[in-house]
Amino acid sequence: MSRLLIAASRDQLSTVIAELYRHNLFHIEEYVDQGAGDYEGFKIGSPLSGASEASTDLIKIRAIENAISVKADDIESKAAGSRSELKAMIERELPVLEREVEELTTKKSKLETRTKELEQKITEIKPFSEIPFNLDLLRGYSKFSVFAGYVAREVTFSVPSEVHFVKGKEKNFIIVVTTTDQRSAVEKTLQEASFQVVQVPEESGPAKARIDDYTQAIAAAAKEIGEINLKLDGVKQKHAGFLVACEEFLRAEVEKTEAPLRFATTRQTFVAEGWVPSDGVDAISNDLVKATNGKIYVMVIPTDLEHDSVPVEYNNPSFAKPVQLLMDVYSRPKYTEVDPTLMLAIVFPLFFGLILGDVGYGLILLVLVFVLGKFLKGEDGQQFLKVLRNASISSIIFGLLFSEFLGFELPWPAIIFSRHLNIGGEAGAHAAAIPQLMVLSIWIGILHITLGRVLGMYNHAKQDHGNHRTKAVMANFGWLTVMWGIIIAIWAYAAIPLMPDFRSLPAIAGINIGYIIGVVLIVVGVVFIARDAVLEVIELPTIISHVLSYTRLVAVGLSSVAIAMVVNFMSIGMFIAPGLANLSIVGIVMILVGIVIFLLGHTLNVALGILGGGLHSIRLHYVEFFTKFYKGGGKKYVPFGMKRRFTED
Amino acid sequence: MADVATAAAVASTATDLASIQASQMGMKAIGAGLAVGLTGVGTGVAEMGIGAAAVGAIAEDKDFFGLGLLFTVIPETIVIFGLVVGLLLLFS
Repeated sequence: MSRLLIAASRDQLSTVIAELYRHNLFHIEEYVDQGAGDYEGFKIGSPLSGASEASTDLIKIRAIENAISVKADDIESKAAGSRSELKAMIERELPVLEREVEELTTKKSKLETRTKELEQKITEIKPFSEIPFNLDLLRGYSKFSVFAGYVAREVTFSVPSEVHFVKGKEKNFIIVVTTTDQRSAVEKTLQEASFQVVQVPEESGPAKARIDDYTQAIAAAAKEIGEINLKLDGVKQKHAGFLVACEEFLRAEVEKTEAPLRFATTRQTFVAEGWVPSDGVDAISNDLVKATNGKIYVMVIPTDLEHDSVPVEYNNPSFAKPVQLLMDVYSRPKYTEVDPTLMLAIVFPLFFGLILGDVGYGLILLVLVFVLGKFLKGEDGQQFLKVLRNASISSIIFGLLFSEFLGFELPWPAIIFSRHLNIGGEAGAHAAAIPQLMVLSIWIGILHITLGRVLGMYNHAKQDHGNHRTKAVMANFGWLTVMWGIIIAIWAYAAIPLMPDFRSLPAIAGINIGYIIGVVLIVVGVVFIARDAVLEVIELPTIISHVLSYTRLVAVGLSSVAIAMVVNFMSIGMFIAPGLANLSIVGIVMILVGIVIFLLGHTLNVALGILGGGLHSIRLHYVEFFTKFYKGGGKKYVPFGMKRRFTED
Repeated sequence: MADVATAAAVASTATDLASIQASQMGMKAIGAGLAVGLTGVGTGVAEMGIGAAAVGAIAEDKDFFGLGLLFTVIPETIVIFGLVVGLLLLFS
């Protein structure tokens, strides 16, 4: 990254902005009014003309898009037309479209409110649906009182009254009419039967007929809403492309016209500062000079890595690009830091494959990736699918090596260590080599962590200064020696498959040389660590736990193999095979049950496999690997401009 | 006479040995089950708090999802260790 300073007179402002926007390379360092010592007498600029019109139109377009749920991510990118064409189209078509959509949506929301009101009325009338007389007979009396409501049981009244009782399943509905002077006596009797009042609705005619009327009205409204939805859908089909193109065009306009708000200006001139990738400096300055006929001053300012917050853009080979998504989830690297994306791009699929090494699951994932690719059109979604694609290819390769297909054995024995467990008594000749697999995963952990620490030493050597730099580098070295000291001491103590055996090394004064080297390394390491930060010493046990944490590569994988084999044993061994042996109706039912178990079990295992394989692989990076050297917290490089998907420049 | 007695003793020792081995295998299986089960409970307890907090944080800020998920799976290590111990008990 190079820091670029651009100064020119104000009449060149729009030309310069257009040129910068076209290049999509210039990360604007925003000008802040206060505290900018070198910028005395400067002010924040004001938007170019047309800014407010463009933003109003943009808001309108977004409102329409919202109303008919159009998303740019769901639409294939293709250029809709040139700038002037779009501008004309916006002027001509936007008001018409706006009116059309607004009319439809208002109508729709009115109908929806109406439906809700009608539903409310129906719930009000519903208690009276068993009453055979008109509802208007229940109100409007001066000499009579009417009670309507629910009671717990049937009641009889001691005072003269007319009662209509409807027995219900849970509660009983009652209507009592009495003369007003007997009111309190009736109320008292009703209270004893735990009476709940129901308001008499303001309706006329029999309740049943009213309910039917309202239900019909609701159905009619629903039909109309359906028609409106169809119309809105029609608008969507017809105008979606136009809308997203307009949105993109207007967004570009708004960004361009509002750019001066981020520049420092005087009455006659303006100054813009920003970052450009170093290989783009020449192109951008030449084009700026050309566009303004030389009426501009462009200069590269020397970068001060300690105080400037340099924006960071990844620079990776194309196969590693999708993994940047996973890096951004953690944190973007700082400008001065080693970017671990490439390592992540290589190691993540390997870990995933080690965990979910199964040809069948790998193929299922691959198909899943291609199917999802049809639906997920957004940038992030596509990148994520690419990560998953690489992981599933690695899964297939490891499946071939492990000789696994949905938990079954392929026609050849496992090329590397077998993971076939003894489930349902059919382990066969190639039983699982679990201790070897565990040690293999521990080796991976040791090497991965060693790499992390070496990178940590490099990062500290690059970023720190003076005394602290030496100490920090030595501390990282100390962590390494402690780890290797422990490992060498263990080798001298016990024989472990796939690891060197130091028990037969010569002894000094009766103590194996392996122990002596191990202890010396540990002591030296602890001293180095303590010299940097004494409190860090309490973190020493994490050396062991972090290395052992890598055994998850085998453990999670084995659990997935175990589930697959159990599913196979249950479905085939317990249902399908006996069913096939005895093809009666019971046999066929058993085969069907077996197939259902097979499908459900493997679906579950695929889901667990993605989650387990993906999460644990990424976690090993985030927690065990990155903590050794990586801080992150870099500022994202956001160049001024946009990747056009629907419009031309 | 003596031969018959020895043969009977050998036979009974063999059955004893077999039953002892079987019970040892059973103990191993129980141990493995306890290792996975108890560590699973431990992980669950640990993830309970983290998960609740993470969901709260995600509700405030959707961008926290990645990091929240990451924090939530950190105690998974405990159950992995349990699984490793269980596997070693059963298969090595």
